[in-house]
Amino acid sequence: MTNSIADIAEADVLFLIGSNADTGHPTIGLRLHQAADRGAKLIVVDPRQTAFARRADHWLQINPGTDVALLNAMCQVIIEDDLHDKEFVRKRTEDFDDLKKTVSRYTPEYASEITGVPADDIRAVARLYASPGKNSAIFYGMGLAHHATGTDNVKCVANLAMLCGKLGKPGCGVNPLRGQNNVQGACDMGALFNTLPGYTGLVSEETFEKYEKRWGVKLPRRPGRAATEVWDAIHEGDIRGLYIMGEDPVLADPNANHAVEALEKLDFLLVQDIFLTDTARMADVVLPAACYAEKDGTFTSTERRVQRVRKAVDPPGEARPDWQILCALAAKMGYRMHYDSAEEIFDEITEFIPQYRGMSYERIDRVGLQWPVPDKDHPGTPVLHVGKFVRGKGLFIPEDYTQPVELPDGDYPFILTTGREVAQYNFGSMTRKTPAIEELCPEALAEVNPSDAERMGIKDRDWLEITSRRGSIRIRAKVTDNSQEGTVFVPYHFVEAPVNRLTLNALDRLSRSPQYKICAVRIENLGADPDNKEKRAILTEN
Amino acid sequence: MKQEKRYPMNIVIDGKKVRARAGSTVLEAARKAGIDIPSMCRVGEKNSEVPCGLCVVEVEGRDGLVRACDTVVEEGMVVATRTEATAAYRKERLSDMARDHFGDCKAPCNLTCPGQINVQGYIAHVAKGQYEEALRLVMERNPFPFSVGRVCPRFCETRCRRILVDEPVSINHLKRFVADWCMANKIDLKIPKEPPTGKKVAVIGGGPAGLTGAYFLARKGHDVTVFEGEAKLGGMLRYGFPEYKIPKDVLDYEIATILRMGIAVRLNQRWGKDFTLQSLQDQGFDAILITIGSPVAERINIPGETNPGVMSAIEFLREINEGGARDYGRRAAVFGGNNIVMEAARSLIRSGVEEVTVIYPRSVTEMPANQRNIREAEKEGVQFLTAASPVQISQGEDGLEVELIRMRLGEPDARGNRHPEAIPGSTNIIHVDTVVHSLGQAAFDEKPAGALEEQLELTPKNNIKANPRTSLTNIPGIYAAGDSTSGPRSVIQAVVSARRAAENIHVQLDKNAVKVTESRFNFTRGRSFDDVDLRNFEGIKVKLREKMPERPPERAVQDFDEVKLGFTEKMARREAERCLSCGCNAYGRCDFKSRCIENGVDPNKTGQPKAPIYSRDYSHPAIAVDMNKCVFCQRCKNACEYDGLEITAGSFADNGRPRDISFRFTENCVSCGKCVDFCSTGALSKKDAIVPVVNEEVRDVRSTCPYCGAGCQIVLKVKGNTVMEVTADPEQAPNYGALCVKGRFGFNFIQHPDRLKTPLVRRGGQLVEASWDEALEEVAKRFFDLKAMYGPDSIAGFSCARCTNEENFLMQKFMRTAIGTNNIDHCARL
Repeated sequence: MTNSIADIAEADVLFLIGSNADTGHPTIGLRLHQAADRGAKLIVVDPRQTAFARRADHWLQINPGTDVALLNAMCQVIIEDDLHDKEFVRKRTEDFDDLKKTVSRYTPEYASEITGVPADDIRAVARLYASPGKNSAIFYGMGLAHHATGTDNVKCVANLAMLCGKLGKPGCGVNPLRGQNNVQGACDMGALFNTLPGYTGLVSEETFEKYEKRWGVKLPRRPGRAATEVWDAIHEGDIRGLYIMGEDPVLADPNANHAVEALEKLDFLLVQDIFLTDTARMADVVLPAACYAEKDGTFTSTERRVQRVRKAVDPPGEARPDWQILCALAAKMGYRMHYDSAEEIFDEITEFIPQYRGMSYERIDRVGLQWPVPDKDHPGTPVLHVGKFVRGKGLFIPEDYTQPVELPDGDYPFILTTGREVAQYNFGSMTRKTPAIEELCPEALAEVNPSDAERMGIKDRDWLEITSRRGSIRIRAKVTDNSQEGTVFVPYHFVEAPVNRLTLNALDRLSRSPQYKICAVRIENLGADPDNKEKRAILTEN
Repeated sequence: MKQEKRYPMNIVIDGKKVRARAGSTVLEAARKAGIDIPSMCRVGEKNSEVPCGLCVVEVEGRDGLVRACDTVVEEGMVVATRTEATAAYRKERLSDMARDHFGDCKAPCNLTCPGQINVQGYIAHVAKGQYEEALRLVMERNPFPFSVGRVCPRFCETRCRRILVDEPVSINHLKRFVADWCMANKIDLKIPKEPPTGKKVAVIGGGPAGLTGAYFLARKGHDVTVFEGEAKLGGMLRYGFPEYKIPKDVLDYEIATILRMGIAVRLNQRWGKDFTLQSLQDQGFDAILITIGSPVAERINIPGETNPGVMSAIEFLREINEGGARDYGRRAAVFGGNNIVMEAARSLIRSGVEEVTVIYPRSVTEMPANQRNIREAEKEGVQFLTAASPVQISQGEDGLEVELIRMRLGEPDARGNRHPEAIPGSTNIIHVDTVVHSLGQAAFDEKPAGALEEQLELTPKNNIKANPRTSLTNIPGIYAAGDSTSGPRSVIQAVVSARRAAENIHVQLDKNAVKVTESRFNFTRGRSFDDVDLRNFEGIKVKLREKMPERPPERAVQDFDEVKLGFTEKMARREAERCLSCGCNAYGRCDFKSRCIENGVDPNKTGQPKAPIYSRDYSHPAIAVDMNKCVFCQRCKNACEYDGLEITAGSFADNGRPRDISFRFTENCVSCGKCVDFCSTGALSKKDAIVPVVNEEVRDVRSTCPYCGAGCQIVLKVKGNTVMEVTADPEQAPNYGALCVKGRFGFNFIQHPDRLKTPLVRRGGQLVEASWDEALEEVAKRFFDLKAMYGPDSIAGFSCARCTNEENFLMQKFMRTAIGTNNIDHCARL
């Protein structure tokens, strides 16, 4: 997030796109609702009718995967109406003309054809968002990022915010709501194929040398492979050994069957986890790790706040914190990597990563600090880009709308989209062990629009077989107008309905994010009793 | 300067100058200044619709009392928070609430246990599968769970309210189960110990009392040495209880666990011969605890008592337990009616004696032995000859001849007790080969030699005279506990006596130590069974207790192996689930209780309801509701940020107390559980948090929620090695006390049995357990081979967005250095 969670209270206009914070980020959702209760205007862009959509001042029920067209059209309206922040654009940005040129084609009428959103609604929300003198904040979630055009979507969001000068001040900003407790930190730490820690990339020889001097070893310059690309590399024989710390690609990765086949093909698979996950079952060696309550460390939240995690109990049996396992393994491999405590590692982090430089366990003991914290006296940065952008001037990078990779057709007439339920988390290995949570959210239900349901004779709790070009799952139905006509929503928490067997491993060309939110499927109604062959036969004949 | 600007108002609270923000209330200003004004209903800016009234204060220049929560500060205001008037008003308000508050603070089992063990707590741990924590909880107060779990008279079970439904919970079998389970699973309880105090304590006697004293003193950091006269520790547990009651290997394990606290032991040290009280003091022991038990058998005082074949039960059981059993003939008589007599009789049967007769002057029901022990002896074929008393033993041709006389109950004495008296001329002779007697025991027949010993005062029964409150003898620095002060009692009573002595010694040795006196404050749904309204048990289905698996008597008497075999895990879980959880799960956090104690409100004096008014409601997935405990502070409603619940009163009584309270969760409820954390009593409780915290230490560990990226700050409530609950601090950014259902309830995974506990390596197609060294060796070798054959880029690593920064940093460092590739990534995109 460029801004802070506490900032939500200062926003006049809340623009939620591709985020159902009620389920993905419940406590942030709470603050958004409270801001709306107090009178902030709420714009929601979501194909699904979420609770936010129901209460929004403007709900744009967009066709999945058409965000670029919508956002460009908003820019077009704003420029045409002369509502953009001309001073901000002049002083703090460059390449405005490129943007203007690109978006000029996206009239609300044209965008309406693509997005399914009425042209007047596009005009209205554009004007509302741009309201001069008002604080407008954008919040987006995986609904925007999990597309083959995910980075295009994000760039367009940034264009919109810069165009209206809604950056670098409280109550504004571009605020991604990050899905996992420490996804921000994992990126900051350089657990990425294309950069050293602190987003310095793999290009600066000076930076490499700094690390090499401190670490006493020559570092590789060759670019690495993104996690989502590893599967193809395994199939091609380029990658033969895989070390997985705390991930479960058998359930998590798009087109999971493809990932499973790759795992089977590996010469050596090492999995380090707290449970024997489906992926761990395939491993050659499994190492037992400590969970968050059993170790010290830090997480960095979606608002860039670095906060402490503290050891509360001992790990079970011989399980050890991941950092200790890594040190022991490095020693076995002949590389000395010795730390007596997590704090020592953190001190090394602050040495290398400029954003973390002024932090220490002592400083974040009571309240976490928001990076960048360039020195020991810096109070942290609740709002990014105040006065200037990191690169100097903000660069407009206009993008054109391109179609999602796999759209419905005669064979696969539905769009499948996936997401979270509030009570469950990821693949359930953590949440599904609490009885209250299981009672609240005991099973996966595929959400089908009532008109689709009527057409196909689907009743609540009927069994459906959902099939994509990659796989098939069985799941009960929930008939609800939460789902748009022609779209079916399936939560991804349940091993009983491993929805990633269906999803598509089409990747964004830059971020290599998969297009989880859209793939084409067909739905077969198996009725109340899926094993009733006779009934099934009749249905199939029809 | 800045400070003055933000807090411009000068006021005085209880004589202390305080700066306050303009517009703030007296309550806020006092809290900021660290002055506690009691308040039970205030949440943020909201009160109960019937304000609790506890925050009343006196303000100079104003008449009467005003509520601090809605009195805004004024420049120069002078406030008094603790005056006679405030105290009286607070007491009145709390008393009104007490008259409406219906529940039990502590469970009857807990209150009845001489050891004051948190019985409901360890049962609840068993129900949750937390056996290690259950044992740790028992060990807070009783270091002999194995032995007591086998021989306890079970005071607790006699008061178990489940009796009013069907049968009491088999509490003692559960205690034994957790002890045995931890032994079988080689659990190291890691009982914490305080830093060394530099004080030395000598304990004379290594029986249950001595070792208990040593255990608790060592936990407090004292340097303890146990002086034991025998070759092995254990005292009566070893030499008095036969193997079939307490197996020796179990006892050895139990004692080893206690000694792990770092207790020095000196064996074969005879008091009066190898050391004296004076010599111990000369060696620098700052305190001495005497726990020698009751090793001296009372004589029977009849002619022939010294004949061969006549012996005390102590001597006899010692022979048995030392493996020195010999031929005791075909018939034996045992004099007495206590528990030791039963063990002697059963041991005689196991030693091949065909006819064993217990001879007692009264009836079986009047025997001091536990009726359970009597039944067990009977089952194994022990016979009982009651209303008879031996008058003489003589050596006949064919063994011993015991002359008995019939007894009857005499006229009541001054106290109304009827004592048995002989019926003249009613003698009778029985022929036996062995006579064993147990008529009583004492600490001494004569005191050990020594100057201080001379001074040591004894009771008329030759036990040591010790002050029951301080455990002190008449000699400063010398304490006594257990059977040596009381005569023979149960093991748990010896444990309790020694624990109290240890607490007293600790307070004596450490001037900073405060003696914790347990509050007797308690709400109760009924002290005796007759007082308990049966509506309390509505909806509870009959479920009979688990039957302890045991060897049939005809088999059991053939050897000295254990008779009762112990619950299986499933049986223990089922039995623990029978617990009605009488005691309040909010015991450790109840504001109402602390405010009552603070203000001298005692439910016994105010009166408390006798029967429930409201049915308990378990329909919410995560939260249990018992409106009988509600004091209508409405903090639940005022804390809820979702409009997720309603609480209203049908009417109000003259004193303002609500009647016909109705409570419901609305469809807005997101099950975040914040209302429970704000509840002033146990009216709302987390269904999963069934272990009441009575006096145990609970640590608050601040951490960050492991779920989404919001970074909510949480507080883990940790007892021993178990996360009991997760809460949040209302003052802490970024979430200010808000959490979702996952954050507050979704922590069961931490200690789930499915957690990986050991490295696994694939051998012959199967994942098998391996040591860390083997596993890491294997990984290193495989990575080396791949690097050698295909280069470092043939290896890729996935880091993890749920791991810490430190771990992600090291993972990329590992891949880039030890492997030498940039093939490092994580699930940011997934």
